[in-house]
Amino acid sequence: MRKLLEIALGILTAIGGFVDIGDLVASTETGARFGLGLAWVLLVGVVGIVIYAEMAGRVASVSGRAVFDLVRERLGAGAGLLNLAASFFITLLTLAAEIGGVALSLQLATSVNYLLFVPVVGFLVWLVCWRVRFELMDNAVGLLGLALIVVAVAVWRAHPDWGAMLHSATHPVVPTTESHAAYWYFAIALLGSAMTPYEVFFFSSGAVEQRWTRSDLLVNRLNVYIGFPLGGLLALALMVAAALVLEPLGIDPSHLSQAALPTSLVLGRLGLALALLGFFACTFGASLETALSCGYSIAQYFGWQWGKFVKPAQAPRFQLAVLVSIALGVGLVLTTLDPVQITEYAIVLSAAALPLTYLPLLIVANDPAYLGGKVNSRLSNAIASLFLVVLVLASVATIPLMIASKAGGG
Amino acid sequence: MARRLDAALELLDRQLVDKDGRLAGKVDDLELTDPGDGLEQPRVTAILTGPDALAGRLHTRFGRWLQGVVLRLLARQGPARVPLEQVQAIGSSIELRVAAGRLDTGQGWARRLIGRLPGAGEGDAAQ
Amino acid sequence: MSGTPPDRPAARLSDRCRRGLAAVALALAVLVAAAGCTGPVRSDGVYASKAAATAAAAASAVQTARLAVQEAVDGRLFGRTLAQTLAEAASDAGDAQTTFDAIQPPDGRADVLRDQLDGLLTPAVSALEDLRIAARRGDVAQLPSLAAPLPRLSDKLEQVQKAHR
Repeated sequence: MRKLLEIALGILTAIGGFVDIGDLVASTETGARFGLGLAWVLLVGVVGIVIYAEMAGRVASVSGRAVFDLVRERLGAGAGLLNLAASFFITLLTLAAEIGGVALSLQLATSVNYLLFVPVVGFLVWLVCWRVRFELMDNAVGLLGLALIVVAVAVWRAHPDWGAMLHSATHPVVPTTESHAAYWYFAIALLGSAMTPYEVFFFSSGAVEQRWTRSDLLVNRLNVYIGFPLGGLLALALMVAAALVLEPLGIDPSHLSQAALPTSLVLGRLGLALALLGFFACTFGASLETALSCGYSIAQYFGWQWGKFVKPAQAPRFQLAVLVSIALGVGLVLTTLDPVQITEYAIVLSAAALPLTYLPLLIVANDPAYLGGKVNSRLSNAIASLFLVVLVLASVATIPLMIASKAGGG
Repeated sequence: MARRLDAALELLDRQLVDKDGRLAGKVDDLELTDPGDGLEQPRVTAILTGPDALAGRLHTRFGRWLQGVVLRLLARQGPARVPLEQVQAIGSSIELRVAAGRLDTGQGWARRLIGRLPGAGEGDAAQ
Repeated sequence: MSGTPPDRPAARLSDRCRRGLAAVALALAVLVAAAGCTGPVRSDGVYASKAAATAAAAASAVQTARLAVQEAVDGRLFGRTLAQTLAEAASDAGDAQTTFDAIQPPDGRADVLRDQLDGLLTPAVSALEDLRIAARRGDVAQLPSLAAPLPRLSDKLEQVQKAHR
């Protein structure tokens, strides 16, 4: 019974923790501009993250080491440092975007300028990273994030024409108002929002934090195979909601307020309240994850003691890295750069950097020295390698598409 | 019992773990000593760890910059040296016979900063 | 004294290769930055497409405001969220107009387009500002009348967008 509860908690946390500001922005914007024409990208992204997250969890459970820990061993100091620099920069950018997202959610609920919330949010993020036990932190924000289910409920209650929607999702067409370059640019952005690099660092480090072992492999697989796709459904719900309400009106969302309008239209104030709670919870949770991931990647490259499972004084450089990262993230948002803009850059750069994260993971997951008999099967290698090819193609196409579509504006 | 190892593959960039199971940095470089008789190859006599050891291996402008900045910042006299005799086991990580605190890897300043914050747990367990 | 490790499978890039990559990266960075810039417009066609983009942005803001007002009147929004939504719509429309007006029209035909579009943008921005102010005051009763000009304005803006795409 207890094991069942544990599994249920893990799955629910995975669902609630899936969406972050990147998914919010990308799904809503693509839904409003392209209808369901990019829904297939979400499917691809979810399959990708499921495959690689399972690998990351397995590596951590069997070897007791986190993924980035092993990157340097496998790639060497120089290439590992390059990988660290790129990954850290992008995770930091994402952290800034998430902190901005929390502030925007609070602004939407209170009408108080978001900049005033930013330092407070930064402090709270640091405080939770400093003091709150890992499991408690993970579970709390994951469960709160389930409030976003309200968006799926709103879509359901809107009684859309399911047949027509399925048709437009399976027969994607670039709308006349958009260029092909913009379509593919947003496809890459959406992919980057679903397969964020920090997720792999956080997931594997979290497995080590929680002391997962071989006996937890099943739980890991259930969390990933059931929780992540359901979480992806929430991102899809955001896209559908935007396609149903915003697209017909020609609304191109650039603010969180526009993302909330479809839910309040169908479900009124209760729906709005839950949506706002969901926005807050998923961005706050993602702030914690990205802040810790910044610390994890640096500490794991240099071999410093890391983790919340030891007292802060015993992992001082890790804690310092987390603190400095949060400060830098707060600083970036306080430059008054629009957090939604920061998010857009973060997800596109994430997409471009995906091969950097996933190639080492694929290599490590095939190494019997770390995984013993639990290395990848031939089938999972085949699928994972295919994905890697797709990711490399997407990565190479990112900058040209960004130029051709004027960063999605054209 | 002697084992032949490829030092680059199995020693370099491996995680160092101290006798209490604490993480103590990576093998950033190896100290090779020439036995001097011109016949034998240089032998690995110690493991070097720390930012300046790593910087020395990076062979780039960035590495040299790191070395300059780091040395100035930490004001130390060279990388922490772990003689091979203090190595307990070599596996996927390198286990040591000493405690991490004995290795002067320059984390004192970080611990002093972090230790000042409430809840750091500085008073617990001598380190 | 450090030992140099033998060549590893994950080899280092040679210096020349690295310099070449740095040059390419710099060039790409410049191109990306330039992609976001707006400069003086030389041709009629480019001006028209900028006008279309402005009309689209303004229409989006107007439609957002319409939807928000409708929801507020139906009691589906909190006062503060409504105020925030309308403030953002007003500033989006205002920004669109400011950016567009800053562009030098290249010729007489462009002047006509500019006047036509400004004739729509100015009342739109004004109506959205009024709505923003009323919402901040919590004056929900006033909203429908203040929002009355919006449907016509959004239709016209969408026409401009379609005509000059």
